[in-house]
Amino acid sequence: MSMVSRMTRLAVVGAAAAFASIAPALADKDAETFVAGILVEANSVFEAPDLATRNAGVEALVDKYVDMNRVAKFALGQYVRQASEAQMAAYLPLFRTYATSVYQSTLDPYTGEALEVVDSVDRSERDFIVNSQVVGAKPGSEYADLVVHWRVYRAADGKQSIVDAGASGVWLAIEQQSTFKSVIANNGGGAAGIDALIADLKTKVGE
Amino acid sequence: MVSGVLPKAFLALALCGLMADGAAAQGVVGGVTDADAPVAQSDIDSALASTGSSEIADPWEGFNRKMFAVNNTLDKALLVPAAKGYRAVTPKSGRRGIRRFLANLRAPGVFVNDILQGEFGRAGETLSRFVVNSTIGAGGFADPAAQIGISSHSEDFGQTLAVWGVDSGPYIFLPLVGPSTGRDGFGAVVNLGFNPLLYVRTDAASLARYSTAGVGGVSAREQFLDPLAEIEAKSLDYYASFRSFYTQARKREIANGKVDYSDLPDIGEFEEFDEIE
Repeated sequence: MSMVSRMTRLAVVGAAAAFASIAPALADKDAETFVAGILVEANSVFEAPDLATRNAGVEALVDKYVDMNRVAKFALGQYVRQASEAQMAAYLPLFRTYATSVYQSTLDPYTGEALEVVDSVDRSERDFIVNSQVVGAKPGSEYADLVVHWRVYRAADGKQSIVDAGASGVWLAIEQQSTFKSVIANNGGGAAGIDALIADLKTKVGE
Repeated sequence: MVSGVLPKAFLALALCGLMADGAAAQGVVGGVTDADAPVAQSDIDSALASTGSSEIADPWEGFNRKMFAVNNTLDKALLVPAAKGYRAVTPKSGRRGIRRFLANLRAPGVFVNDILQGEFGRAGETLSRFVVNSTIGAGGFADPAAQIGISSHSEDFGQTLAVWGVDSGPYIFLPLVGPSTGRDGFGAVVNLGFNPLLYVRTDAASLARYSTAGVGGVSAREQFLDPLAEIEAKSLDYYASFRSFYTQARKREIANGKVDYSDLPDIGEFEEFDEIE
């Protein structure tokens, strides 16, 4: 292949790639506004000097904005269909306590920092990712290239909620599903596996 | 000189080969070996079950879990105390300098892989960073390149293979080597060849090579002391959590920091399910 045709082909591929990467990345103002509002509250929580106050603040935010039952069902993966009513009744409150503590420890490194919305991507008309970054992060610092993602779900009635959070491409609920499925599968799967997961969650949250 | 590094790497590869013979046929995804899963699942079920490419095949889960346990024993006995000692005797800025110095040594390898991936713009960034940081950056201990807006990125031969379309292959965990995949393990061996010190056949170069490897291990471990302790404390299954975090982070690294949101599993699709309840 001649150099010129190679360059032409590269240019065409490059243009196509650039177009493809722009096309789905439509911003959603409502989702961004929703997360920006949460971050205003979160940033004031991050200012609290003591851990107990920050933890209480994060818990209040999680209760208010995270659709915990939705995340809890997602975290069971395919096993959500095999869980009995009694198992779900035991599992849901345990998951809430557990996931709240994960949010608390995950957000604690942002103490003294502030997050602001930078952009968003819509995966569907119901499913959005809003990205945030640390305000005024110094170049070369640990916060410089860090992106904190918020997964926003919009219900049919327009009500928005947070269903996952992540940093730089690593998501909490996805890890939880992967781990929970592993616990269930390694304890015989099905009802026995779900019982084992519930027992592990109880131990973990200290009940 | 070369012989000091390569046998270990080939041993790792040989292990890969041995295990591939025995276990490749199983093809279990995400460590889920659930025999009593329903044969016929509805569309909702498969939607719920799918985690897209966030999960990795782990057909050697039994072996990997044993190696993970061995690694954690060694980690707690050797690496964690070393990392804590290192943290105790060095200031934060000094540790950052060491990390930058070690990262600067990797720049030639990053450059080659940038080129191999056809990322000429990024190759230019890597070259600029190497020149700027090696000179006015005091041999790499400072990062003036970041100050003028050229931020760092990683590349290795495993990432190049991924860009070339090679699938990750199965997950593999080896003590002191850490998490990898069939592809990235092979890439890591090739990557050893990108270390300039490998081609200098003097005792000083050998010493420098072993020192940077040792310091690199301790320095990297120091950086992850708190996050890994946190993950271990919170996790119901440290092995599975570690695998998930590694897989997710590696995917983003290969995509040069761009997150592929289309690959994410759906979390908000339970309406149908709510109605069934």
